[in-house]
Amino acid sequence: MIDAIENSAYAVWVRESPSIWAYTTILSLHAMGLAIIVGINTIVALRLLGYVPDIPINKLRQLYPWMYVGFTINAFSGLSLLAANLSNDLHNWMFYVKLTMILCAMINLELTKVRVFDTPAVINGTGVPAEAHRFAIASMVFWSLAICAGRLVEYPNFVEKWVGMLFGH
Amino acid sequence: MVETIAHLMLKTGLDNFVATNDWVWPVCEILHFFGMAAIIGTVGLVDARMLGIGKGIPIASLERFVPIGVLGLLLNVITGFIFVAGNPVGGPQEYLTNLAFLTKMTLIVIAGVNLLVFYAFGIARIANATAPDGSAPLSAKVVAAVSLIAWFGVIFFGRFIMYNDTLLNALGL
Repeated sequence: MIDAIENSAYAVWVRESPSIWAYTTILSLHAMGLAIIVGINTIVALRLLGYVPDIPINKLRQLYPWMYVGFTINAFSGLSLLAANLSNDLHNWMFYVKLTMILCAMINLELTKVRVFDTPAVINGTGVPAEAHRFAIASMVFWSLAICAGRLVEYPNFVEKWVGMLFGH
Repeated sequence: MVETIAHLMLKTGLDNFVATNDWVWPVCEILHFFGMAAIIGTVGLVDARMLGIGKGIPIASLERFVPIGVLGLLLNVITGFIFVAGNPVGGPQEYLTNLAFLTKMTLIVIAGVNLLVFYAFGIARIANATAPDGSAPLSAKVVAAVSLIAWFGVIFFGRFIMYNDTLLNALGL
């Protein structure tokens, strides 16, 4: 199964094609998608924490589709890179940390929508639920950890060495 | 000139620092991505608003997040300098003669000049006067489009630095 995916025509093209649109462009799309979703998320979070209060919070709701654009770009590019490098990634535990952080961040994003943006108080501009702060902080923590883990996926030897040193095995 | 710059960079001793501390490179990579998200999230969002996305959000208010983007840029200049001056494989020359890297630097300069134009020619003032759900003037839209293309281009060519041969091959060089 893993071999079949890794040796599929698409995975081979992503990994081995000398085309400028193959591996490196997909890699750069992954960075762009990250910048879009994390960038917008951080601004929304900072506003929920009380920064720049003259921005009406309910107007930020329309940025959600753009965060989904970032997420879609990264789901597509991420799955392509995963197919191309499947067995390595599946043996890299930092990859699972990254996926877990993204899952938490996306659940948090949806919860923020339902429990903050879709509340009557926010829609009518009369107030913000107290728990908005918690969603905002969680958003920044999850995305920060997702970026850290995502970058560390590329340095498995370094990670093994430091985990060994810090936790002694 | 490349030799002179490379020589000056090597005088910082960063190559030795990177070579003897294995955490420096991964940590700088992480910070470089944080900086990238900060720039796109702030500057990119102001650009998007000027192009008509997120109407109802006052442009001037959104601009108040831009100092975070400036911090991100500063962080990336510092970490980027460490990558170039501390490059363990091939030294600074490897970067300074790399087409993807040089294109990335050019795009950063274009983004910088674009920003100067935005403030020096009064475009920022007109853009900030736009009603919260109004349309920014055409001049601001042009500045915004140039900015977005430049910054996403920076990301594109940044990722190509390590795959410069693919770029050269595509260009028939």
